[in-house]
Amino acid sequence: MKSLFYVCLCSIVIALPACESVKPYQRAYLNDHEMQPGQSGALRFDDQVQAYREASSGGGSSKVSGGCGCN
Amino acid sequence: MKKRYIVIGLLASSLMALGQNADSTYRKQKISRTDIQVMMSFYTQDNDHSAVTGGIGTENLQVYASQVTIDHLADSTNAYHVDAGVDIISSASTDNIDFIKSSASKLDARTHANAGYQRSFNKKGITAGLNSGVSIESDYTSFGGGLNFSKQNASHSRQVSANVQAFFDDLRWGLLHHGHPIKLIYPSELRNTQWFDHYRRYSYNFEFGLFQVLNRRMTLGIYPGVAYQTGLLSTPFHRIYFSDKSERVETLPDHRLKIPIGIQLNTFVGGRWIVRTNYRYYWDDFGTVAHALNLEGVLKLKPTLSLTAMMRLYAQTASDYFKSYRMHDTDEAFYTSDYDLSMFTSFKPGISIRYAPYSGWKGMIYNTIELHYSYYHRSDGLNAHMATVYLNVSYQRPDKLRK
Repeated sequence: MKSLFYVCLCSIVIALPACESVKPYQRAYLNDHEMQPGQSGALRFDDQVQAYREASSGGGSSKVSGGCGCN
Repeated sequence: MKKRYIVIGLLASSLMALGQNADSTYRKQKISRTDIQVMMSFYTQDNDHSAVTGGIGTENLQVYASQVTIDHLADSTNAYHVDAGVDIISSASTDNIDFIKSSASKLDARTHANAGYQRSFNKKGITAGLNSGVSIESDYTSFGGGLNFSKQNASHSRQVSANVQAFFDDLRWGLLHHGHPIKLIYPSELRNTQWFDHYRRYSYNFEFGLFQVLNRRMTLGIYPGVAYQTGLLSTPFHRIYFSDKSERVETLPDHRLKIPIGIQLNTFVGGRWIVRTNYRYYWDDFGTVAHALNLEGVLKLKPTLSLTAMMRLYAQTASDYFKSYRMHDTDEAFYTSDYDLSMFTSFKPGISIRYAPYSGWKGMIYNTIELHYSYYHRSDGLNAHMATVYLNVSYQRPDKLRK
């Protein structure tokens, strides 16, 4: 649990002071499809497989419907 | 004199203003848009650590998955979502529940559907929504629902979100064959004992998100979550072979707490490269700690064409309740030989190509076609291949509100 706390803390410490104001006309790179958060459509199936084949899931890539994956 | 001129001037301008008509060429329009996404995937795996046969035996499995998703943006505030799909599963391991080759358990299908509604409060930057879904397999029925909320700041540089989901599962077999669930399915030689007196599983997921624009080329997302499961968490047809050669059904605690946190850093490098980095830390009270690192390099060959190479590295510790074939002692309270809960490392290289012309004809817009392949290797010997074709088209229709 300690490492979880350090992961959270480090992320916030790194992220927040580094923020820079970005004007609407400076968002060309940010608006690119691949810069969007989350997974692209084609990778959702991979996420689902990983949730079945591994003990862990969640953290921005949780499977969104039920199913046992018990095969 | 000056006052007189000012009064006359003001009167004249007010009369002219009254005489103005609404511009007949201006039409306020709402744009309704419907996105249709079609995804077809194939998955194949093989190894010899099946939990159905107590940690030994074939894990050969093929899944043909298809899904159609429709997102309808009715106007700038209301959005509707529907998706449905079928997975056809050919599993050699579940065929061993009764050891009768090519029995009914060899071939299964998972049918699933979800629907949702989302409303945007544009002035406040708030979006709120709800969704519900169902998933049915021969030995598993799941109903789920959820609420989501997000708020974006005025400069669109920061977004906070919260997502709550609940799943209510029934692990009894029979819905597809008899119209209603009947009983839990145990391995054929263990059906003389009623191993469990409950058959429901409840899952509650809470996920929070903080998305922050760091600068004009870099974004960061942090996604901590909590998941809690209760009920029957064992799979009733998983065998356990003990050190004294006796045999039972897999037994796990009836509650499980999971805490994941994901961090995603996306960076646009130069004019053509995007590097997407994703790390996830995971802990649960079954004793599993896991780390997953996903690296993606996207090369934009043209504005409409991009090539992505990816590598995922993963490591997890074993659950406290895992031991392999004939390693469990009969005096243990909980036991599993499911290698998904064992200690292992895995790597998954992959490649995607995405063509996105965004070209349209009579309201139809051809957005994206994406092809993806990845290979998955687990240190216990499991090898898997997965391939996906993803297609996204839109239909956009301007509705006249006022002429």
